[in-house]
Amino acid sequence: MSEVEAESPFDGEKAPASPRADLITAALLFVFGVAIVQQSIAMPRFVEQSGTGLTAPGIVPGFYGVMLALLSVVLGVRAIGRGGWAARGPVAKATGDGRRLGLAALLGVLYAGVLVGRVPFWIASALFVFAFTTAFEWDQGPERRARRMIEAALIGIGTGLGVMLVFEKLFLLRLP
Amino acid sequence: MDALNNLAGGFAHVLGGGAVWHALWATLIGIIIGALPGLTATMGVALLTTLTFGMGPNVAMLVLVCVYVGAIYGGSRSAILLNIPGTPASAASTLDGFPLARQGLAGRAMGISTSGSWLGTLFGTLILALFAPSFGEFALQFGSYEMFWVAMFGIIIAGSLSGGDPLKGYIAGFIGLFVATIGQETNHAYARFAYGNGDLAGGLGLLPVLVGVFGVAEVLSAMRGPAVKAVSSKIDSVIPRLSDVTKYWKTILRSGALGTFIGAMPGLGEDIAAWTSYAAAKRASKEKEKFGKGSIEGLMSAETGESACVPGAIIPVLTLAVPGSAPAAVLMAAMMIHGLNPGPMLAITAPEFIYQIVAMLVIADMVKMFYGLVLVRPLLWILLIPRERLMPIVFVLCTVGAFAITSRLFDIWVMLGAGLVGFILRELRFPMAPLVLGIVLGDLLDKNLLRGLVLSGGDVTPFFTRPISMGLCALTLIAALWSIPSVAGLLRRRKPAEA
Repeated sequence: MSEVEAESPFDGEKAPASPRADLITAALLFVFGVAIVQQSIAMPRFVEQSGTGLTAPGIVPGFYGVMLALLSVVLGVRAIGRGGWAARGPVAKATGDGRRLGLAALLGVLYAGVLVGRVPFWIASALFVFAFTTAFEWDQGPERRARRMIEAALIGIGTGLGVMLVFEKLFLLRLP
Repeated sequence: MDALNNLAGGFAHVLGGGAVWHALWATLIGIIIGALPGLTATMGVALLTTLTFGMGPNVAMLVLVCVYVGAIYGGSRSAILLNIPGTPASAASTLDGFPLARQGLAGRAMGISTSGSWLGTLFGTLILALFAPSFGEFALQFGSYEMFWVAMFGIIIAGSLSGGDPLKGYIAGFIGLFVATIGQETNHAYARFAYGNGDLAGGLGLLPVLVGVFGVAEVLSAMRGPAVKAVSSKIDSVIPRLSDVTKYWKTILRSGALGTFIGAMPGLGEDIAAWTSYAAAKRASKEKEKFGKGSIEGLMSAETGESACVPGAIIPVLTLAVPGSAPAAVLMAAMMIHGLNPGPMLAITAPEFIYQIVAMLVIADMVKMFYGLVLVRPLLWILLIPRERLMPIVFVLCTVGAFAITSRLFDIWVMLGAGLVGFILRELRFPMAPLVLGIVLGDLLDKNLLRGLVLSGGDVTPFFTRPISMGLCALTLIAALWSIPSVAGLLRRRKPAEA
């Protein structure tokens, strides 16, 4: 499939995470799995009610915790085999722009976690859309910036009012 | 004869009450969602589920089926015109669709996509109508032991095949299963992992988690990546040619069968169906050299395979309550929200529902064909919307989608958390399909494991000795062993030796 350029779901190995990242993930998942097992064991077993204790709430999550811990060990061993332990193991090339990612995440959390529920939903949404669009279009330079900001404000107001009308008035759903 | 009567009844039932209007707008939204890079079919079905809360179950299902069918088809628009798959399912369509567009044959490529997709969905729907009712009756024999293995098989097969790295697939599956255990369990109403928090005791809602994993994570991925350069293309006639269909009828049948079969396998989905159909078509083709350079057969196979997968993925939803793909998982969640209980009991409680779904798929397929012929230029304009303006609107819709089902602000936090975790897992190359399947199947697995143990008085042997259980256990083990490279290599080496 040398002519295949698009990303196939089968070629997950084509650009794998770095062994170092896999090793750290494995360590975190192992701790997570063990914590699940510990919490599951600490759950009440309701032996008196069930007679056998087979309906204990911790059985199923405990099983998942064991599986996660075991699989993370395999992941860790594999990562070490691929050079994850080495001081300068293979490093996967980072894709995309971390600054843009951080900005998108920050604006998303400010909107959904802070504004929503405290400010009327349509105003919160209008502010968010305006801020998001303006922030990401800022790099396009000062030329026509004022026009882009006016457009962003109009899109924001349109989104806020449109969502309110469609969801609250047309489909009779509650908005935050 | 009964089946035909039921089918006629299904159409009569679905076509009442403004169904055509609902099918028209929902399929259009689906196609737009599918066409826009960064918006997936799963996200579309999840977001539209919110809109259906106030609708009756039948209208709601029609809307969601139309969105699903439309979105899978819509992905090919951007694949052909921009060389960017609108949904992961359309990645295989870029290989020959974009070269055709570059040769000035964008219209013909879209015609091939329309005819292939239309026939694929029709083929899959026919298989669903023929086999789902009888398979549903067979599934009535499944008890707790068998249902446990069905859920387990789903996780293992999705983990093995959906992402290229089975180990990470299994881990994603078990993380999903764990997420499903949070909150009150059914036997003693004990709140697991709630730590005295009332919201956590209620459990993590399926829809907020799915909207987070597929909506918020997609927004973050889209904003992080490099900007998409939109390229407009001259478009020739989009009317499908009969000769393209008659010449490649074998490819269409093969891709339809493969797509439906892969759809019916838990958690695999449309992208795998498209790639498998494409690979099979290339292997069997007399024009192998044209593949990747604008092969009509290649594009036809990918489009037919991915679209046949949609009805295929609904077969296990209706008969076993196990979704065949990520969008089908959300569709199943929507069925539950609307009080329809998919699974083996459906054959008894609402056998007519299977035929109603068949009718919905056919209607969606027809509307999709209609849009395929008329909706070419307006879609080009939509494809040019910059992500800086589209993604914040998607984020607002995600927030509404997460909140609307139970009106809890807590669900918005769940969405944010799931989005962040989903994004990180994706960056670390963990596949999302097993994670979703784990979340959806968690309850099924949990209940049936405990119920089975109670029924057998703590004896685990019925899980391995009952005939169907034994078969399912063997299948699960084979799927797990196959994913170990050394075992798979051993089996592959043995084959030629035997031959």
